[in-house]
Amino acid sequence: MKASTKGILTGTHNLSGNEACVEGAIAAGCRFLSGYPIQPAIEIMQRFLERAPEVEATYVQMEDEISALAALLGAVWTGKKGITATSGPGLSLMMEHIGLGVMLETPCVIVDVQRVGPSIGIPNSPGQGDMMQARWGSHGDYEIIALSPSSPQEMFDFTIKAFNLSERYRTPVAIMADEYVAHIREKVVIPPAKEIKIEPRNYYKGPKDKYLPFKRDKNFIPPMVDIGNGYKFHVTGLTHDDQGYPIMNEECQEYNVHPLMWKIRRYVDDIIEFQETKTEDAEVVIVSYGAPSRTALKAIKQARKSGIKVGSLKLDTVWPFPEKRITELAKKVKAFVVPEMNYGQIVLEVERCSYGNANVVFVSYAEKEVDNIDDLLSAIKQVIKEKEARKGIIEYHT
Amino acid sequence: MNPIITAFAKGIKKSGVKPSRISVPSDIPFEPEVVKHLGVDFFHTIRGRAIAFGTGLKLGNPDLIVVPFIGDMMTIGGNHFVHGGRRNMDLLIICVNNFVYREIGGKSAPIQKCEKEQTTTQKFSPYSTFEKPFNATHLANSCGAVYTARWTALHTDELANSIAEALNKRGFSVIEVLLPGPNYYTSIKETDSNLLNFYYKNSVIKNGEAPRFVTITPKEKIIVGKFIDKERPTFIEQYNAQLSKTLGDKFTPHGGKNG
Repeated sequence: MKASTKGILTGTHNLSGNEACVEGAIAAGCRFLSGYPIQPAIEIMQRFLERAPEVEATYVQMEDEISALAALLGAVWTGKKGITATSGPGLSLMMEHIGLGVMLETPCVIVDVQRVGPSIGIPNSPGQGDMMQARWGSHGDYEIIALSPSSPQEMFDFTIKAFNLSERYRTPVAIMADEYVAHIREKVVIPPAKEIKIEPRNYYKGPKDKYLPFKRDKNFIPPMVDIGNGYKFHVTGLTHDDQGYPIMNEECQEYNVHPLMWKIRRYVDDIIEFQETKTEDAEVVIVSYGAPSRTALKAIKQARKSGIKVGSLKLDTVWPFPEKRITELAKKVKAFVVPEMNYGQIVLEVERCSYGNANVVFVSYAEKEVDNIDDLLSAIKQVIKEKEARKGIIEYHT
Repeated sequence: MNPIITAFAKGIKKSGVKPSRISVPSDIPFEPEVVKHLGVDFFHTIRGRAIAFGTGLKLGNPDLIVVPFIGDMMTIGGNHFVHGGRRNMDLLIICVNNFVYREIGGKSAPIQKCEKEQTTTQKFSPYSTFEKPFNATHLANSCGAVYTARWTALHTDELANSIAEALNKRGFSVIEVLLPGPNYYTSIKETDSNLLNFYYKNSVIKNGEAPRFVTITPKEKIIVGKFIDKERPTFIEQYNAQLSKTLGDKFTPHGGKNG
């Protein structure tokens, strides 16, 4: 399906990441925002409020992030596409309803503009400390999709992508941005509506009295209906069957929850996207996501100038994790270098998926400017000297 | 719950509202087949969050009539309740008050009566409770609710009338229903029907009583009735008014027939 032309600002703009995110949402057909203001995500709410009347969208400032996501889930069941934006402290509060969103298989988009933590941390300092929380934060077993943009243009593109993925797989999708990407201003090209691909909602088309809210179709995804149309449906956060009736035994737990995992896992190859730069001949590959991947590209150039063959693997999709590609690369390269604005999260996944075939070096950007390439270069120069693959994660102290 | 559902069904019929327009976000599980017979759409959401979820339903489609059924409104759902009232969100709240957290064995709830006479023998509160309870009606009124009523579950007709009335009312309406919980009064045997009768007989109807005077205490009769019925612009009306004022013709107001 092509995007509706309404409200799409086709052309070239100078936008911050947060502003680009809103334009992406509007282009994707998002017409509902419920949120609670928090830095550094506040501009998303502000711009959406400004733009809402033009596209006949609704917004509400809720009393907290718990109710922000609760209201969003409610609005989605009425047929709207919806978004909420927050930062780490808010994401913590949203965990409860991410679980409900997964269980009710409700498509929605949650933007987390990460700042440093724990707790209140520094509101306007970039961080990437919520990556594991996005994957594992809500209780129980579930799979989630998380994208990580590294520029305002990607904020625009990935927001559209997030809506499409959430509709296709009927699941909440997280956009794991960071303060750097959210506040930097850059050129953003918004294409004409006819070039923007929109995933339509998978609606149920059968007779009203036969509708089962969790009956999976041939693609393994249950079709939805809008409420208020006489379907008389019952959905619950309790373990349930196809009808959405609670049945609390082990058999139903398996029947209900296992597909929540598999509806994502069987499509990982369609979901996962990454960008590779000069990996063909690389001895060292920088695995990065978000703002540090900008630094990674600079580091490749510098390293290649000094004769070291370095490539880059930039993760667009962080969850589900691109295990297969990392494992393949691990057999070819000497080492992975993983820069992150935290004390080591995604590096754990890289190490796991390398199966000991390549050295894995962690470079923390938790305490330094994200555009500093010296430490990255120094790590590359040191790891190239390693004779064999060492166990565990390596950290060089400079 | 059965007497309340019966009253709800009667109320829907009486109000003339099409059941397909009604959606019920609830933090109390309903018997699913009952939902089908009522003909409404039903969401069993997280404890205390039904008002927040219902806010999304109502804003997503203002034509809907949203009726959150809430068991734990005053603690975990307290903030949503307070702000729902402040916004005058167009919701009809059915607050089921059994004074205790029944499903988890009788831990005292914040709208429990508090006096020495109370001797719950449940394992979670072996020494009874000493915290001051909420007067839910008074709180609702203070927050800006436009309609408040309280009935025991045996006042089926009165409750049905209140529900019918509130279904056709715009704004934040709260109906508190007293339902028997585990043993509360020592003199009453531990059966639901005895307690149900006890509440019913121990109550006195005082329509229009000021909410601040309707606190439930063990020594006095339980005051039931319709307490508040007033008009105030709803959230969507205020939203439309404010944006129309600022933007003029550029703004298309939200809401359908019931907006």
